[in-house]
Amino acid sequence: MKQHSRQNIKVINSIDELFTMIDISENRNISFHHHLRNGDYVLNYVLDKYKRENINNINLFPSAIFPSYTSILDLIKNNQINNITTNYINGPVAEYITMNGLLGKLIMQTHGGRARSIIEGRNIIDIAFIAAPYVNTFGDAVGYLGKSKCGSLGYCIPDSIHAKIKVLVTDNLVDEKIINPEIIGKNIDYILLVDKIGDTKGIVSGTTEITKNPIGVKIAKNTSVLLNELGLIKNGFSFQSGAGSVSLRVTKDVKDIMIKENIKASFFSGGITKYHVEMLEEGLVERLYDVQCFDLEAIESLNRNANHIAISSSRYANPNNVNQIIKDLDIVILGATEIDYNFNVNVTTDSHQMLIGGSGGHSDTASESKICVIVSPLIKGRIPVIKEVVTTKTTLGKNIDCLVTERGIAINPLRVDLIEKLKDTKLKIYPIKELAQIAYNFTNIPKDTIKRDIIIGEVEDLTYEIIDHIYKK
Amino acid sequence: MSRSYLFIPGNTPSMIQNLDVFDSDAIIIDFEDSVTVFEKDSARILINNFLKKYSYNEVEIYVRINSADSPYFGDDVSSLHNLDITGFVLPKASVEGIRELCKLSDKAIIPIIESPLALLRVEDIAKEKNVTALLLGAEDYTKELGIKRTLEATEIFYARSIIAITANAYGLDAIDTPYTNKDNEEGLLIDATNAKNLGFTSKSLIHPNQVEIINQVFAPSLEEITEARRIIKKSEGSSKGAFSLDGKMIDLPIIEKAKKVLEKAKKYNL
Amino acid sequence: MKTSAGSLESSDCLITISDSNKLEITIESVVFDQFGDQIQAVIEETLKEHNITKLFVQCFDKGALDYTIKSRLETAIKRRGENLE
Repeated sequence: MKQHSRQNIKVINSIDELFTMIDISENRNISFHHHLRNGDYVLNYVLDKYKRENINNINLFPSAIFPSYTSILDLIKNNQINNITTNYINGPVAEYITMNGLLGKLIMQTHGGRARSIIEGRNIIDIAFIAAPYVNTFGDAVGYLGKSKCGSLGYCIPDSIHAKIKVLVTDNLVDEKIINPEIIGKNIDYILLVDKIGDTKGIVSGTTEITKNPIGVKIAKNTSVLLNELGLIKNGFSFQSGAGSVSLRVTKDVKDIMIKENIKASFFSGGITKYHVEMLEEGLVERLYDVQCFDLEAIESLNRNANHIAISSSRYANPNNVNQIIKDLDIVILGATEIDYNFNVNVTTDSHQMLIGGSGGHSDTASESKICVIVSPLIKGRIPVIKEVVTTKTTLGKNIDCLVTERGIAINPLRVDLIEKLKDTKLKIYPIKELAQIAYNFTNIPKDTIKRDIIIGEVEDLTYEIIDHIYKK
Repeated sequence: MSRSYLFIPGNTPSMIQNLDVFDSDAIIIDFEDSVTVFEKDSARILINNFLKKYSYNEVEIYVRINSADSPYFGDDVSSLHNLDITGFVLPKASVEGIRELCKLSDKAIIPIIESPLALLRVEDIAKEKNVTALLLGAEDYTKELGIKRTLEATEIFYARSIIAITANAYGLDAIDTPYTNKDNEEGLLIDATNAKNLGFTSKSLIHPNQVEIINQVFAPSLEEITEARRIIKKSEGSSKGAFSLDGKMIDLPIIEKAKKVLEKAKKYNL
Repeated sequence: MKTSAGSLESSDCLITISDSNKLEITIESVVFDQFGDQIQAVIEETLKEHNITKLFVQCFDKGALDYTIKSRLETAIKRRGENLE
């Protein structure tokens, strides 16, 4: 242990104190992570300072924007924000930007693209404000301990290394050594000690439940049967499902098949829930690569299980990271608000053109995994999920392999191998236009009311390619 | 020959327009208990417009109308006139009720045996015109007897037995009562298996998530299918009405039964 | 006189009709942008089938399909008729 060579990091007690040491007006490119989700206090706390100081020309790099991040709205309305670069945006800020745009533009990256941009110096961040639930005096930190624990800190790891100034914001500073810290103290410049970094109730969303809705159950069943018929559920396979209620039902159905046929998976990746933890502890999967914990059980498992491994967003999804996890991913299950005749998927805007999300790891995992399956009801409140052209391209159709709905499945014609494998199946497989027609027989064709006049932002893929624009509603 | 009969509330569009996605062999659109007295008119008009617009080949559609002694019976039946449905499910069944319905329609009738009196007269009911199946309604039946339902279902053992026997004797399908705990998959499996072992050919159900288990239980098993194939093969090569297979006597009823098993296996892609 | 039919459940609509000296239709819908015109057309067509030229129709729609909109309107019309008797 070379503890003697390490230095205690400067501890400060308020944001005001920080900016007595560094000039706020020279630090306008600032980043945050969203691991505390809707319970986060840090982003609003820091941005209130920028508001009070009337700092203009701010460029924000939050990994995601949640409904509670309302200080961003104040700054936008005060014309203090120039660009926002993020991976996911939802709530009042999203609605305001949809209707009004920004002074600069909204850049929607992917998780992998964000990590890559920060590491490769495309996103230049002056200060990373990193909410950290458990920090020691050397600046080492983990997210799965402390009163405001959130689990993996995956999304802020690139920021914690590559920002010009790195500030850990914590409500839990300890003297003890941390084994395998996620954030390494030698990279850290300041520890900002506050009363509370977040509200526990908002941190753990508690929405990760398996669907009991019969339509969702049917979609999940169709999906697990499809995966099984494609021979993908076999020893050593890897799988990612996220925390959507239908995706979780797919996980349950896949689990049933695994138990019945005595199959063990190699790893699950991405956002982790109690259901994934259960499978780890039942010996059905060897490792969990966790970039984000969705519930308390996942957070606690990270502390308890050696094979539940917190990973950075770069290791998770950066295409230039040689240890990238998702290039070894066999199957990813993803959602869609819209999918079009060319299999392009939208999870950025809804059918009313409102910003309601963003790629997160959608395009990353779809691009890198061997099979990407979109699960969605064919009709959602009279709106068919299939459109001629999606409102916003979040993930390119060439990376999407299958669409599974309650009324049938469409396979991307580029995947002749899958189509060949399924030629004797009893599953209902249709060309995507035919599946759309089945929906239209119920709904009729919706009128296209999308406005494409004023560009307010862009969708940047993990390749850095701009794959679509975002328009003002 | 359906394995599963799923009840769907007759005034709920979100369920009705998805009736073919749940994989139930048959659907029973309900005008009775799940539709309040104030909405009987709504349900009739809704179903009428729905069935005029959409038709289904892969699923049998029945409508549970209100009982023959209710004020809704006549309007229920006439609202379904000329629509493409397989038949009626008639609650609170009696011989008189069935005859009333036969005066108004030639479609198939599945009476629900749900009172002690109906159970006593089940053979008379089975003999009535247009009756194609018997459905046990255990909730009302046990309520009338003042006894509790249990998972073991010993309280309906006699009712189940007599219905299954009667249905079998008259060449009708025997449809078991629904299992009402929609979240207990294990209980459903036990309950459905018990019914099958008493001679039921199918089960009614109240939640779409119960379809898969019921379809599995009431589908012929792989062994049954293999056995049936051997019987049919041997019977085709035999000029006699009866012969022996593995030392067991095979006669016409057994051959007929084997044919039915194969028919089912074909229908359900087994 | 006012009669209604339907509900505000998902995939349903609530239709209320009342006296008017002209044909008047108001529509509130979760899918108004995409299907407002279609809903209007179904209501007009249904009224025509029933030879109704003067009525105030209010439709609160939660994503109902055409058959449901038509059915709810017809139920309201039927109830109105029964009340007039």
